[in-house]
Amino acid sequence: MNWPAIRAVMAKDLTAVRRSKAVVLPMLLVPFLLLVVLPLVIGIAARSQDQFDLSRFLDNIPGDLARPILALPQREQLIVLVNGYLLAPLFLIVPLMVSAVLAADAFAGEKERKTLESLLHLPMADRDLFVAKLLTAYVPALLVSWIGFLCFAIVSNTVAWPVMHRIFIPTRLWGVMIFWVAPAVAALGLSVMVRVSARARTSQEANQLGGAVILPLIFLAVGQATGLLLVDIKIAIFIGGLVWAVALLLCARGARRFTRDQLATRL
Amino acid sequence: MSAVIEARGLTRSFATGVALDDLTIDVQPGEVLALLGPNGAGKTTTVRLLNGVLKPDRGEARVLGLDPTTHGDEIRRRTGVLTENAGLDERLTARENLLFAARIRGLARPKAKERVDELLGRFGMFDRANDQVQGFSTGQRKRLALARALLHDPEVLFLDEPTSGLDPAATRDVVELIGSLAAEHGRTVVVCTHFLGEAGRLAHRMAVLHRGRLQAFGRPDELAAALWDGLEADVDLGAPIDDRILALVRSVGGVVAATPSPEGVHLRVRDREALAGVVATIVGREVPVYGAVPRTPTLEDVYFAIEAGFT
Repeated sequence: MNWPAIRAVMAKDLTAVRRSKAVVLPMLLVPFLLLVVLPLVIGIAARSQDQFDLSRFLDNIPGDLARPILALPQREQLIVLVNGYLLAPLFLIVPLMVSAVLAADAFAGEKERKTLESLLHLPMADRDLFVAKLLTAYVPALLVSWIGFLCFAIVSNTVAWPVMHRIFIPTRLWGVMIFWVAPAVAALGLSVMVRVSARARTSQEANQLGGAVILPLIFLAVGQATGLLLVDIKIAIFIGGLVWAVALLLCARGARRFTRDQLATRL
Repeated sequence: MSAVIEARGLTRSFATGVALDDLTIDVQPGEVLALLGPNGAGKTTTVRLLNGVLKPDRGEARVLGLDPTTHGDEIRRRTGVLTENAGLDERLTARENLLFAARIRGLARPKAKERVDELLGRFGMFDRANDQVQGFSTGQRKRLALARALLHDPEVLFLDEPTSGLDPAATRDVVELIGSLAAEHGRTVVVCTHFLGEAGRLAHRMAVLHRGRLQAFGRPDELAAALWDGLEADVDLGAPIDDRILALVRSVGGVVAATPSPEGVHLRVRDREALAGVVATIVGREVPVYGAVPRTPTLEDVYFAIEAGFT
């Protein structure tokens, strides 16, 4: 592996992305709404409502999840249910979206900007180029997720302090989500989108194909699985492992099939 | 000395058809080769195949003694390519674009900065070094892309339409620069173009492609000799030649054709001696001759004559 060249491609792409408001703003808006605004609203709601009866709702969710929440004082139940549990699977949108948006741009964006040919004429092995483009999408997806989670934890704990009187986030479930499942979901999203990007002519085409067909299927599968994530930490770890396995398999296949010739043929 | 570039039977097809069909050429060290042909002739495909960006369906090539299908990276390390679209990232500055290429080419950071500044100065771009490329004119982009192609002091330069979109002054600058790279620095240069004027001034040999097939390959004068019998000349008499003298001219040995022109007579003769015989005949009849210059066919004459054969 030629790591200096890989780092050079990553640095170039990320500098370019940073300067593109059209890419950065939508990429940060969803995490902001999900990880800052939502816990803020929930915290404020919990503070203003003395009696927030969740028993009917909690009756409909698995007993293993409901029991620890029902054991809490009623004022704490809303905050712990939403911020501690229900938001955790939703949080997976963040790494999936960020990695997908950046991966869609990986090759299709280069084609669109007519920079792909000059890139292909540089002395960089096909596999290094593929890895560089994967990491260009993956590293920011993880960073946005982790920084987003840090903001979420600060906002949740601060706003809920008058009710909770303790730091309640991160929970063990959040830990598994952040460090195991989210990186796996990001890897799955980009392993699909990089291949879509190599075939599409423009990043818009790649986004449409990925956004309209492939990512909803992934999200549906992950969404179904995350119902299970809430039940038990062991199951959450297993589901994460499964997503990792599929993502790594797709990445490895993509790397094997990825060639300059294939890209140059579509120039 | 062995050829820097050799291609034997190079063939490549795409879904749309055959892009290059059985190309066999060679380029010698320090030579400037013009790859000529209309759009879609196969020029860019040739450059991509020789740099290992595309793989051939059939045939083989050697660039600097290396096979592009197996040693593409090594070849690309030693060649510089100016693509038809400058291929610069518009969101980066001029300096960032060059530093990126320098880092991929393995130049250490201090050396890269020094080299980038040197080239920005040489190409008159130093004052725009920290501006994003999106505000640059076509000429500025081309100069920057050319600087990028020269970053690592390549042994072979491939220039795909180096002057397209440039104004006449910028075209002249680029042509002079390419000429000096070959003449003073001994670099081998392959220029793909459909603008014949620049190639004519630069090229030692020309390869004419049409729909992927090589139509002609050689020095312009060799190709002219193959295309035309003898040489052409205009004899300046200050007035159209009269019929009696014209008949005498046509009877001179070695004259293939003689036609009146507004200033005298236009000739096709077998060799320079025949032209001297014509001048002696006219002067012998006490008609003044103000000039008689054999005209060497230009690259344009040769190209259009070849093109006339395939249209």
